Amino acid sequence: MRLNLIAAALAASALLTGIAAHADQLADIKKKGELVVGVLGTDEPATFIDPKTRQIVGYEVDLVNAIAKKIGVKPVLKQIAVAARIPELQQGHVDLVAAGLTHNKEREAQIDFSLTTFVTGQKAIVKKDSGITDVPQLAGKKVLTIRGGTQEPNIRKAVPTAEVVTFDTSQQAFQALQQGKGVGYVDDEAALLRSYAKLGPQKAKYVVLKQNLSTEALAIGIKKGESGLKAVVDDTLRELEKSGEAQKIFVKWYGPNTASGFQTRDFKLDSDKID
Amino acid sequence: MPLFDYSLLLTGKYHDMLVAGLLLSLQLLAASLVLALPIALVVALLRLSPLAPLRWLGFAYVEAIRNIPLLAHMLFWYFGAPELLPEGIKQWLYAGHIEAYSAIIALALYTAAFMAEDIRSGIRAIPTVQFEAGRALGFGFLGTMRRVILPQALRVTVPPLISQTLSLWKNTSIATVIGVAELMYQAGQVESATFRSFESFAFASAAYLTVSLAITGLATWYHHRFPVRTI
Repeated sequence: MRLNLIAAALAASALLTGIAAHADQLADIKKKGELVVGVLGTDEPATFIDPKTRQIVGYEVDLVNAIAKKIGVKPVLKQIAVAARIPELQQGHVDLVAAGLTHNKEREAQIDFSLTTFVTGQKAIVKKDSGITDVPQLAGKKVLTIRGGTQEPNIRKAVPTAEVVTFDTSQQAFQALQQGKGVGYVDDEAALLRSYAKLGPQKAKYVVLKQNLSTEALAIGIKKGESGLKAVVDDTLRELEKSGEAQKIFVKWYGPNTASGFQTRDFKLDSDKID
Repeated sequence: MPLFDYSLLLTGKYHDMLVAGLLLSLQLLAASLVLALPIALVVALLRLSPLAPLRWLGFAYVEAIRNIPLLAHMLFWYFGAPELLPEGIKQWLYAGHIEAYSAIIALALYTAAFMAEDIRSGIRAIPTVQFEAGRALGFGFLGTMRRVILPQALRVTVPPLISQTLSLWKNTSIATVIGVAELMYQAGQVESATFRSFESFAFASAAYLTVSLAITGLATWYHHRFPVRTI
């Protein structure tokens, strides 16, 4: 009963703020002359701080800049935490979220997503002496990863019997792997390769498993029901794809000459559907 | 903001995750409490010992533990301490539930430091003449403690000990940082999978509140049932 009252109060306040703030967001953005975008700023090379210029740069920043240009306003980047991404968007503190956001079915009830901006696989790294050579062998073993993302549910989907242990940061999880507190460590491919590179001479003791645990579609988050804003975002992304600009931006941040070292780009900015 | 969705809490996979977290939290509470009480009693007696080196030992334990945040204890017992063990034992430990063991050790040692101080206060509440009377009757230090002082002192001590149990219950949530899948951990997992922060944390808050109120109720009941005898 008490819970009912709390729920009702929450619902009522949500309804009230909803009414007060309701206007077309795209019109508001044009009026204030700036597009406020929530970014992580710690997620190289998607959004990170350039040590020389102290500016936030990266793959997602280039996409956001194109969107702001299309609307005809100034882009303003605001650094937010992983867990704050959705609340900040829902409360209207930011207009868009470009922060390594995975698009999944559960989240569709809360916010809208742009066309998929990046597709990444999640991979596992194991110690060589564990004898593990492919993903199914992780069955029944302890697997370490970062908390708050889609890594954990994806491990469970790929290897249902694995015992998953998660940590606040990927550094802690990776540390636990090095100490032998689990046989494998799972993360997005780009992040995983970066951690692997940091191992230096120790690298020889570890193997990155070839097979992907999952495929992740990342997208830009848009407040639910803002169809005008979503249309402009999607149009911009489609135009970038058509003009070849999207390919150039990808190569600039993820291509063969970067630390990520992707040889090819296996996705296009053309759909907001996910499996 | 969408409406509060009960279905998430009442059935299905997310409900199961939250309930599993609650059960693990209760297990952490029980295991740490069972370990903490005897340690606390020993430390309290050390602090009251007639031998100065033992008193110093008790003092050092309490101050070293009390003045460092529980979070640091947790990380130390998970990432630091086990690394010092011999390779064989280490491998065996790491293959098991090292996360939960580390959390229980951290929680028990931490809580014991606070409980020791409560027990010490309880013992000191018993007039020293009783202790002297015990010694005059020919009991040793431990004999006097066991037969005369502790039976009276523990009665005074139980309400503050229950209050420490309340802190211990809330502190189990810190085990999240070393990957123990307790209640806060599961609430976080449900939130990140569904973005339903309100629902998952409402469940966690309600569960913490319910157990806390039960513990407080226990303290009140004990106080009425076994009032401190006028000394």
